[in-house]
Amino acid sequence: MLATNLKVLAVALLTIGFYALVANTIPQLESEVPENLALGSDVTAEQLVEAGERVYQGAGGCTACHGLGTRAPNLLTDHAGEGAIGSRCGSRESDKDCKAYLYESLTDPGAYVVDGFESIMPDMRRQLPEDQIWATVAFLQSQGGEVTVTGADLPADEEGGQADAASAPQRSATTDPLQLLSENACLGCHAIDGAGPPIGPSFDAIGARISADRIRRGIIDPDSEIAQGFDAMAGVMPKIFGDQLSAAQLEVLVAFLAGRR
Amino acid sequence: MPDLYALLQAAADGATASYRDFPVIGSRAAVWIAAQVHLMFAAFVLGVPMFAVITELIGIVARDSKYDKLSKEFTRLLVFAYSATALWGAVLVFFLTTLYPRFWTHMTEIFGPSMWVYVGLFFVESFTLYLYYYGWDRWNVGRAKWGHWGLGLLLNVWGTAVMIIANGWLTYMMSPPEGATVAGLPDGVSTWNAIANATWMPINIHRLIANAVFGGSIVAGYAAYRFLAARTDEERAHYDWMGYVGNFIAISTFIVLPFAGYYLGREIYEYNQQMGITMMGGFMSWLWIVQAVLIGVLFLAANYYLWIGMGRIPGAERFMPYTKWMLLILIIGWLVWATPHTMIASRAEMAAMGGSHHPFLGILGVMSAKNTAVNFMILTTFLSFLLYRRANKEPTVSWAQTGTLIEGAMFAVSAGVVLFYGIYGYFVEAIVRIGFSVYQVGAVLACIIGVTVIDIALLRGAKSRGAIRWGQMPERSQYALFVLAVTFTWLMGLMGFARSGIRQHWHVWEIVRDTSASAATPALGYAAWVISACVLIFLSLVAFIFWLGGLAERAVAKGTTIPVPVPATGRGH
Repeated sequence: MLATNLKVLAVALLTIGFYALVANTIPQLESEVPENLALGSDVTAEQLVEAGERVYQGAGGCTACHGLGTRAPNLLTDHAGEGAIGSRCGSRESDKDCKAYLYESLTDPGAYVVDGFESIMPDMRRQLPEDQIWATVAFLQSQGGEVTVTGADLPADEEGGQADAASAPQRSATTDPLQLLSENACLGCHAIDGAGPPIGPSFDAIGARISADRIRRGIIDPDSEIAQGFDAMAGVMPKIFGDQLSAAQLEVLVAFLAGRR
Repeated sequence: MPDLYALLQAAADGATASYRDFPVIGSRAAVWIAAQVHLMFAAFVLGVPMFAVITELIGIVARDSKYDKLSKEFTRLLVFAYSATALWGAVLVFFLTTLYPRFWTHMTEIFGPSMWVYVGLFFVESFTLYLYYYGWDRWNVGRAKWGHWGLGLLLNVWGTAVMIIANGWLTYMMSPPEGATVAGLPDGVSTWNAIANATWMPINIHRLIANAVFGGSIVAGYAAYRFLAARTDEERAHYDWMGYVGNFIAISTFIVLPFAGYYLGREIYEYNQQMGITMMGGFMSWLWIVQAVLIGVLFLAANYYLWIGMGRIPGAERFMPYTKWMLLILIIGWLVWATPHTMIASRAEMAAMGGSHHPFLGILGVMSAKNTAVNFMILTTFLSFLLYRRANKEPTVSWAQTGTLIEGAMFAVSAGVVLFYGIYGYFVEAIVRIGFSVYQVGAVLACIIGVTVIDIALLRGAKSRGAIRWGQMPERSQYALFVLAVTFTWLMGLMGFARSGIRQHWHVWEIVRDTSASAATPALGYAAWVISACVLIFLSLVAFIFWLGGLAERAVAKGTTIPVPVPATGRGH
């Protein structure tokens, strides 16, 4: 009976070992935790500006529009002779100081739209927690102005001010592809019907150039494959649409674009 | 012990700490192992009663004592496994309260009353089980027997109720209702809304089926061990038959499981696109290749067991030449299914492949090829069962030849539909191609149902070519049952990691963030070691429990005889 027991044990161990081996042979991918800014009430202006810059250049996806000069006002450089954003933010709306105006621009962007531009900016509370929004405000203030954001503006909860699901705006439920393109600011970069900026590939005849599968991948993971001639724009398109669109909206959009031949 | 007491007290006092450390393996691994081993035992004690009542019913209706004995033996395993389930459940709760107090407070805030109901049902379930098992011989005839069977039915009802309550808690962590916050539920959203969340029902269905699969495979593993340890032909015959029944339950229910999986996957995508993408195309994409490897082993081992088993059935030799072709289909199907497709690849890797997909393997790695492969594997396994069932039977109905031809045509049409849509899928867009899998699955299911119905009618009153020589089974067949049991257990651990891992750094998706040091979701290599540890702990405990059961049985059964399914003389090798 000992021999039988040993054989049973050997079969079990070999089977388990085989699966463990297979799982350890394939590429090892870990899901990283998004960077936690860990901004407390005692945060300094320098720390806020530094954190805000990381958001501006990274997770916020701000550079997708701001800085290109066509879709949205430049923020870090002069715009219409008014200087960088930090020096002009206080005079945009008469009843709002710079801090209030910038916060409004990030959380209710349609409230004030600079002349000559469309209202294409999304409410940043969809993708950024409150403390990162305030850090971004601080960074923008630092561009030619005085930083007035302090630790007292930050939410006091332990989660580092995670986006509050209850106060965050709800997603649009529309399945109208044109409305989706407009709501998600796609037309700020992609031309359609011969009009629009050439920052990303045109949507005209896109269905004839690439497959629906690749269109879907391009929406969800924009950097997975860069369209020919747009290498310089790699990394510009925000990687937020997989989260922002429902499955039905994504499929409607893919079908609509794939049908443009 | 004083340390444990202090930790429990601190948790009860509402300590403000979010996390505490567990020595050596860390808090995450400690909770992971406790939860997974608890779930393995829970799946066993929920799955086994399902077929215990069915076999008891067959015994009552057919007046065949061997089914009654089999059912009682299933239940005896249950009694011992039940206490292990409760023990591991307690370990899990202690770990959660002491190591993750803040998260636990959030859960109790929302689910407190349902936890009291859960405990109450657990009591009722326990006592129903004890009544069911210990009353077996007392209530064994007439109306009392039906009453006893009713207890078995109730046992299933309580067990299912307990499971779906706990499913409400864990699915809330994946798909909390709109408006939920760290502080709890908003006005107008009740505990019931939190339980009946978007992924609750798909998980309920998936687990119900998976429990039967798992229970069947563990019972088959138990029977295999008892077969190898048997000292008499009667014992060997009984455990050979029990192993066959356990394996039949496991494989036949397993074939349905992917459909429940699709439903769950669809609901996850509907709830949150990003979660679905993480699951299928993000950092977890390689997990499905590992899953394909495991399922390929399951198909091969299950078919191998059936083909060897045909050696003890008179008349089966006429079907044996087909097995090599079936093996070929299974292996090709396995290779296609395990071919990677959309993976996270670096720019250098993409450049080396000449695109995001491999130039040759990319063609096989798409869903058209994979769906075709898996449907052919299911059809082949069903054919194996059919040939096994027919092996010693000679139909006597007048329409036997026509019936067999119709069955063959149904197989051919089903395979044709699967192949046609598999090839056609390469020429249409993804959105159209996704719909093709429904036609493929529909064709296979229609074939399985149609052929089963015809075959039952066709073999009614069939002549026997000779009785199955139960017990005359080579020992290697029993090792195939062990491989199946180990693989099902490992697969359960892998899928547990998938379900839990897609929440990434959230205890409750986008509500309660994991801010602990181990918030990052580990890679598959590390996960595989934890899963392997869980499987080893579970199987070791199961072996110990079964050994204890054997001791008790020997003490009681001295001098009694066992009702057996036609014992054969001698052993076949």
